[in-house]
Amino acid sequence: MVGAAGDTAVGGTAAHRAWSRHTVRQRWTRYFITLLIGLAAYWSLASIDIEPEWALDAPAQIGDLIGRMTPPDFSRLPQIIGAIVETLNIATIATVLGVLVSMPVAWLAAQNTTPNQATLWLGRFILVSSRSVNTIIWALLFVAIFGPGVLAGIIAIMFRSIGFLGKLMSEAIEEIDRAPIEALEAVGASRSKVLLYGVVPQVIPTFVAVTILRWDINLRESTVLGLVGAGGIGLILQGAIDTFAWQTVSTILLAIIAMVVAGEALAAWLRNKVI
Amino acid sequence: MLRITNLVKCYGNDKAVLSDLDLEVPGESCVAIIGASGAGKSTLLRCINRLVEPTSGSIELNGVNLTQLRGSALRGARRRIGMIFQSFNLIDRLTVMENVLSGRLGYVPFWRAAARRFPQQDIDRAFHLMERVGIAHYANKRADELSGGERQRVGVVRALMQEPEILLADEPTASLDPKTSMQIMELLRSLSEEYRLPVLINIHNVQEAKEYTQRIVGMRFGRIIFDGLPSDLDADAMDKVYAGVPAAERQGAEGGIAAGAAV
Amino acid sequence: MSNQNAASAPLPRRTWRKPPFIANPAIRWGIIILSIVYIVWALATLPFDWVRIQEGLPRAARIFSSAFPPDLKRPGLVLDGLMETLRIAILATILGVGASIPIAFMAASNLAPRPIYLLGRGIIIVARSFHPVIVAIVFVKAVGFGPLAGILTLAIYSIGFVAKMLAERIEEIDWGQVEALRAAGAGYFITLIYAVLPQIMPRQIGLTIYQFDSNLRASAVVGIVGAGGIGATLMNAFRRYDYDFALAITLIIIAAILVSEAISGRIRRKIW
Repeated sequence: MVGAAGDTAVGGTAAHRAWSRHTVRQRWTRYFITLLIGLAAYWSLASIDIEPEWALDAPAQIGDLIGRMTPPDFSRLPQIIGAIVETLNIATIATVLGVLVSMPVAWLAAQNTTPNQATLWLGRFILVSSRSVNTIIWALLFVAIFGPGVLAGIIAIMFRSIGFLGKLMSEAIEEIDRAPIEALEAVGASRSKVLLYGVVPQVIPTFVAVTILRWDINLRESTVLGLVGAGGIGLILQGAIDTFAWQTVSTILLAIIAMVVAGEALAAWLRNKVI
Repeated sequence: MLRITNLVKCYGNDKAVLSDLDLEVPGESCVAIIGASGAGKSTLLRCINRLVEPTSGSIELNGVNLTQLRGSALRGARRRIGMIFQSFNLIDRLTVMENVLSGRLGYVPFWRAAARRFPQQDIDRAFHLMERVGIAHYANKRADELSGGERQRVGVVRALMQEPEILLADEPTASLDPKTSMQIMELLRSLSEEYRLPVLINIHNVQEAKEYTQRIVGMRFGRIIFDGLPSDLDADAMDKVYAGVPAAERQGAEGGIAAGAAV
Repeated sequence: MSNQNAASAPLPRRTWRKPPFIANPAIRWGIIILSIVYIVWALATLPFDWVRIQEGLPRAARIFSSAFPPDLKRPGLVLDGLMETLRIAILATILGVGASIPIAFMAASNLAPRPIYLLGRGIIIVARSFHPVIVAIVFVKAVGFGPLAGILTLAIYSIGFVAKMLAERIEEIDWGQVEALRAAGAGYFITLIYAVLPQIMPRQIGLTIYQFDSNLRASAVVGIVGAGGIGATLMNAFRRYDYDFALAITLIIIAAILVSEAISGRIRRKIW
């Protein structure tokens, strides 16, 4: 007779055995974490500075705004497209500049190529600052220095990209195979030639992939530059919002979607061709 | 002429990896260095071109003391010492030709290296050597597309491109199958004759050592305990070199001796 | 082979150049020329105000000297800002990740019927296309200034990332497990819970932690446009030309980001 796990005898009473999915310890851990999350949520909700009526009203407000944004108004399309192209150019030029600057920084920030401990810290510091300061803040800084205009925007995106590019590139440098390096040192090549023949060929695939990725991200980052006067579509967007031209706003948003989607397609295609 | 005197290498306060090592290798000879793993063969070779820093002692190559050199003088000395590695140590993504030409990196200025515009003389020599070892048709193939034996041959050409005064081979055949192994050993032997080069070969396979070299140096625990003709390496001497070594490793080293292969 | 030294024997003359990356010369030169033309055109059409730029350097010097040394004037304000940033991040992550799960299922080609798949992917694309600052501006106009706009913004930001990653994970699951349950007669949703959910749970947890960290960072920024948090504090300092206070706040933000990154990194490594 086929018995369930726990039957002690054919025809006799079965001794029941319990089964649960998690061990006791696991259950306590799960309860604890759920409790923690619940407490965090409760604390946040309780202490946050939001009027409850506003929160309940939010869906209605959003719906109202969406209503005002449809249908999109295409009358200013030529200007919008011009601004999109400007955004694209800013992103592309800034990415190129960023790549050029981040290569030596990556070299500094990689443990196996940096000259000494001080330069390692310098390189890492540059990378961290670049990554932690948001694009808008960089843009504000450079608008204050260079005045409003695309130069501030390009430099801001460039500074922002250095952290991302430099970190991934320095990680690629640190992960190279040391065997060819050893051989080149044995040949009597100087440090720069060892770098050129031993390190560079190994990191090129990663560098290219990371550059393409960052260009894609920069397309999005460049859209906000105009909000602080640093060029690109942000300016027209801010203008349309300030004048409550919501139907123009939705056209602009659609244009941004189109640009980002086209950019991603191009990036994916490039990645396939080159890697 | 390579003259090593009193070479010592210690890592920290541990037992010395090499101690009181004396070795003389006159020009134009093919010398095999045998010994169990950890005997110090690899360390010895790497001390010669300072990939490993000796703790004390002197290494003289054709009158120049290598142990005191620094910076560009060290690089100048290294370019006269060719090295062949167990894992080939090629630059995988570059072409065979670039790998071969990288042997000249100690001689050409940076811009030439960057632009890949090597002097015509170097290119001629490269083709000549590649034809000599049979890989000229791979010149523009990526190094990682070649087989193990072919890659090692690229390594050999790279070393020869340096116009070296001595060749160091660190277990050049350990990653190769037996047939390719023999081809490489034969290549090293004939090149040593042709270019009148002293060649030091670290090798595990004692059978191959006996067959392809004229002198065998046996190391154990960082010292040289056998130095003589291949025919002098009898069972007694083998015992001394490999004493206390696990049977499997020793059998691997003895290779075809038991099978009665011709010496 | 002769026994002479290789260098002195007469050698056949052969040239060699490194084979170019793009073999076809037409395509290669085409791309090079196009790139040069593009760069020249882009630089020409971008308006540069050179006079203003020249004045830039002394201006920069002035700003930096007034920003140094950083001065933490009103720590209470900064602490309030940080706390609000934390609250926004917590609620936005819960909301965003919660919404991401159904959207991810909708956007998985192996689970969802075509029209729903397209809808799911569409939502993700829209959520991802916009920089959170832009989304924040729109929400501020819709629901007013303050953290509510911030929470909604970052929820969308979370959906854009988490739903996409999760959908990709769902598409990579071992289908055999689903088949086994279907063969046993399990219904659609039960199959999801027993066969799909356990496979995506580890990735889901990792993504949630990563997104919380991301949201903390982004939350510091959306405040700049009025969506609450420490970004608002920073913006106020900037507007009042309080550069040394602004620098202090920026340094604190950097420190907080580093700490959060370190903690989230360690947690993710422990559970991996």
